[in-house]
Amino acid sequence: MADEMTAAFEKAYDSGSSIRVDLRVPLGRPHVLVLFGPSGSGKTTVLRCLAGLELPTHGRIGFAGETWFDAETGVQTPPQARAIGYLFQDYALFPHLAVAGNIAYALKGTSAGERARRVGEMLQLLHLEGLENRRPAQLSGGQQQRVALARVLVRRPRLLLLDEPLSALDAPTREQVRGELRGLLRSQGIPIVCVTHDWVEALALADEVAVMGGGRVLQVGPPDEVFSRPVDADVAAIVGVETVVAGRVVERMDDLAALEVGGVRLWAVEPSKRGEEFYLCIRAEDVTLEIGTRPSSSARNHLAGRVVEIRPAGAVSRLVVECGFALTALVTRQAERDLALAPGTPVTATVKASAVHLIPR
Amino acid sequence: MNWTAILLTLKLAALTSMILLVVGMPIAYWLTYSRRRWKFLVESVVALPLVLPPTVLGFYVLVAIGPKSPLGQWYQTVVGHPLVFTFEGLVLASVLYSLPFAVQPFTAAFGAVDPKLVEASWTLGISKLATFFRVTLPLSIAGVVTGGVLSFAHTLGEFGVVLMVGGNIQGVTRTVSIDIYDEVQALNYVGAAQTALVLLVFSFLILSVVYAVNRNLWTVWPMK
Repeated sequence: MADEMTAAFEKAYDSGSSIRVDLRVPLGRPHVLVLFGPSGSGKTTVLRCLAGLELPTHGRIGFAGETWFDAETGVQTPPQARAIGYLFQDYALFPHLAVAGNIAYALKGTSAGERARRVGEMLQLLHLEGLENRRPAQLSGGQQQRVALARVLVRRPRLLLLDEPLSALDAPTREQVRGELRGLLRSQGIPIVCVTHDWVEALALADEVAVMGGGRVLQVGPPDEVFSRPVDADVAAIVGVETVVAGRVVERMDDLAALEVGGVRLWAVEPSKRGEEFYLCIRAEDVTLEIGTRPSSSARNHLAGRVVEIRPAGAVSRLVVECGFALTALVTRQAERDLALAPGTPVTATVKASAVHLIPR
Repeated sequence: MNWTAILLTLKLAALTSMILLVVGMPIAYWLTYSRRRWKFLVESVVALPLVLPPTVLGFYVLVAIGPKSPLGQWYQTVVGHPLVFTFEGLVLASVLYSLPFAVQPFTAAFGAVDPKLVEASWTLGISKLATFFRVTLPLSIAGVVTGGVLSFAHTLGEFGVVLMVGGNIQGVTRTVSIDIYDEVQALNYVGAAQTALVLLVFSFLILSVVYAVNRNLWTVWPMK
């Protein structure tokens, strides 16, 4: 396939452990693949292999018509020749160069006028005007991140590799940058592979999520599917959030918004008017169940449905309730017995509006 | 006071430092980034002049550049005169003798540069060589200056190697330290004292300038 990147390789270590992946990324249109997993799952190593900073032991990495790595033929394209952008976790800005020098770093061989024009473009795009003569040490975390982005985007890379792009920021800045980053990455139209261990970040940025654990890709799919329907217990343990569904705002009232999800309405706290399309994330422990269905009352977020699945997990059970969408609830084994819960039992699930976590799509 | 010897010594030290900048940096680069298992052997060889008596080092260099050695014969064929007991021979010996004083600070400085910065440069499409000059060198300039100055100062004061390899030829291989020795042997304490004072003041000035200019250098003194 000429219009995709294929990476099927293994990196083996002397210790006997190994990292093995088989990934595809469509090229020529904006697409964000998020490698999601706990630290030590091998996701950064995968990113470094894609960049050419590390070499796999076996396998092949192809990019459109090019071969970047092939263990059999010995092809090893150095990072310089891959024409990609790599955003390091702590940004790796050159401390001896000012902002403008960092951004212009890769633009050698172009005329001074052209260089100034493209640096100016980037300063504007990333709201860095007025900072061009500052050193990296004089910038805030958010500004450093934007300079690092400008430094890679100015080359117009064919692929962008992001290593935990938001983890070096403090929490309020992260919240703000997350929204901006998504819009910016979309507007550049560059395919992206992004590594993160933060599920909010994964949902906010991803078109597709690959869950990694123990050096293997455990599940690949759209974010809502991966997060709400993990293929096995390992993936479920890694993703941690039980219910993730896509919805859109149909009504607003003060700081609340009603979202339509699978034919039902859910109220959520949404004071910031961040758009209309969201992922709704609900933790299983925030869902309470009552036996029987009751006519919808004025109370918020009463969802009538049926139990479709019960998975015991230690002292508690994880129940999946079909109520227009699959909602996961956590009940104690005691409550499960008292309420005589079984597959098919009609129940009403209640979720507080403040327990519905919204992530812009 | 023997100005000929002083000028000769400065010339020798300056030339040695310059050669070590050119030769020492690739060695230090290799030592910093190589993952070869036998790297420790190269490290040991580079550090040898720190522990070997100068006479031992001088003896081997003398044999290696003598008229019977392949190197000595090749040099004589190409240049037309023997390498031993010449200024060029002395430069060669000084370079070897001062090698660790340049390579060790270089290596320490290169190793202190965050490898992520080097990798960032590579992923931005900049070659390894250009990355060295645009990232590694500017960020380790303090260590490089230190290595240059230390090898300069060390060459100023060498004695045993010069005596073994250079002989004692006025204007060609008679350096300050040997001149002082000669004066003392001849019981000319005044001449020896003058030359010694020049060397002392000069060495002190160089080191003062270096430590004053950059407080964060690789240093023989522990940092506060």
